[in-house]
Amino acid sequence: MTRASLVLGLSLLLCGVRMLRAQSASDLLGGGVRAYQALEYDAAAALLERSLGRDSAAGLADSLRARALTYLAATELFRGQRDSAIAAFRQLVLLNPRYRPDELIFPPQVTNLFQEVRRATRAIAVAVPPVTELRARLERFTAGVLASSLADVTVTLAREDGTPVRTLYEGPVADTLTVKWDGLTAAGAPADNGRYVLRVTARTSTADGPRARQVVLEVKQERPDTVAWPPPLTTPPLLPERTSTGPAFRSLAAGLVAGAAVVALPSLMAQGKDATGARFAVGAAVGVSGFVGFFARKPRPVEANVRANASQRDAWKRKLDAVKAENASRLGTMRLVVRAGPETIAERGSP
Amino acid sequence: MRTIGLIGILALAATAVARTQSRPTLAFRGDAGFVWVHSDTAAAGAIGAVRLRGPVLGGEGRLVFRGFTVGLGLLSGTLQAADQGSVKRDLIEGRLVVSARPLPWLEMSVGPFVRAYVTDSVTERWVFWQARARVDAPIMTASLSSYVELWRALSSDVNLVAGAGRVQGGEAGVVYRPPQRPFSLRLAYRVDDAAVGGGGSRSETLEAISLAIVVGGR
Repeated sequence: MTRASLVLGLSLLLCGVRMLRAQSASDLLGGGVRAYQALEYDAAAALLERSLGRDSAAGLADSLRARALTYLAATELFRGQRDSAIAAFRQLVLLNPRYRPDELIFPPQVTNLFQEVRRATRAIAVAVPPVTELRARLERFTAGVLASSLADVTVTLAREDGTPVRTLYEGPVADTLTVKWDGLTAAGAPADNGRYVLRVTARTSTADGPRARQVVLEVKQERPDTVAWPPPLTTPPLLPERTSTGPAFRSLAAGLVAGAAVVALPSLMAQGKDATGARFAVGAAVGVSGFVGFFARKPRPVEANVRANASQRDAWKRKLDAVKAENASRLGTMRLVVRAGPETIAERGSP
Repeated sequence: MRTIGLIGILALAATAVARTQSRPTLAFRGDAGFVWVHSDTAAAGAIGAVRLRGPVLGGEGRLVFRGFTVGLGLLSGTLQAADQGSVKRDLIEGRLVVSARPLPWLEMSVGPFVRAYVTDSVTERWVFWQARARVDAPIMTASLSSYVELWRALSSDVNLVAGAGRVQGGEAGVVYRPPQRPFSLRLAYRVDDAAVGGGGSRSETLEAISLAIVVGGR
């Protein structure tokens, strides 16, 4: 009981501390903004730096971080710390190359300084939707490439182990660029299941050039439903292509039984008395008629049925071919689910 | 027993009459055949056997109405002893038959049958009522068929021999109906056997083969 209470107490304490720290980061930002608005720049700089100093888990979200950096840069500028202001704006540009300070809030000297820093700081970023579902070849996965200034970039897609899959774009980016991927590899096949890296790199790699950005994409194929093959043709609906053997054997039986009856009649009806041989001639004639019937009704092709069946088989084959084509089309347009991870800065020299 | 059999046949005929609806049709048959008669007598103190044979001609007319058939037939010929002896008889047969088909392949019939052996001095006359059953089996649809017919006398009477005995027989053959022709041909073998007289003192077997042409009745 005591041990459980102790564990519970510690857990609550840890949660409380984390909540307090998270709240503190945004509170510090709020306090810093209020101090800036009250022209208390020293206090504002201290609070804003503290808000930015928190670790990422409990720190500010990117949008609040960008806001904090903007206020910090403005604060430093009005404190006469131009270098600090430039450093803060540089961080802001690297964080989000498309971010712009609100000109209604900040005076021109602040926004002008930001524009100078933005032009001097070459940064690129990539933005992708968290989840995209697409039909390979028919639909597109889109990625936004952002640049703080004109940059020549290459957008590539590779396996996580570095195996190149496809180059999606090579060329300049002035501000934003939408890169599209149809889900296919360079060979034209739908991408296999696995992890891929979408990377944006500057084509002219210099020490002060923009760092490559990348996003890990988890690609999963979802096999489409295929159409069932038509059921194989059987009889029926196929018609018999030869006449049955039954009538032929029934004819033979009718003749032979009647012939045998002719021969056996004296034995059956006249108590086996001596009978003339004439009955054998008649019995033979009747028996021969059975053979005549057998050969006349022996199985033979039924041409009309053969033609009708050929027509049915052709129709069935056409149906089968259509199903095969439909299935090939469906399999060719594989559904892909692409889940994007967070944007990260690629290590220099990484594949 | 005979009455029950007769009632059964009439019931089947009535069923067939009630079931079918058609116009009456007529059919005529002409027969040409050859007959063998074996007659054995085992009377007290007298044992004898007679072998006769000879050609016969006959005919029969039939009226078919609503599956119900009434037929009247006659057959006649002169028989001679097989050993070329002087024994000679005229054979005359006549019959009236009423028949119906309870099933397409089965014909049941009943009727009186008269057979007479006529010599210069005496006429031996057999009279019996027959019940007949005939089974038809097609060999080639509508053109060639075989049949087997069995009959038995429900009652019999012979004018010169005391006591009536068993009388029965059968016939089997084949019928050919040429396509698009109004007639048909029939080849048949018939055997009739009779045991008459007290204790079966006399037995007689008649065999016949016949070729017939039938006109009408389709």
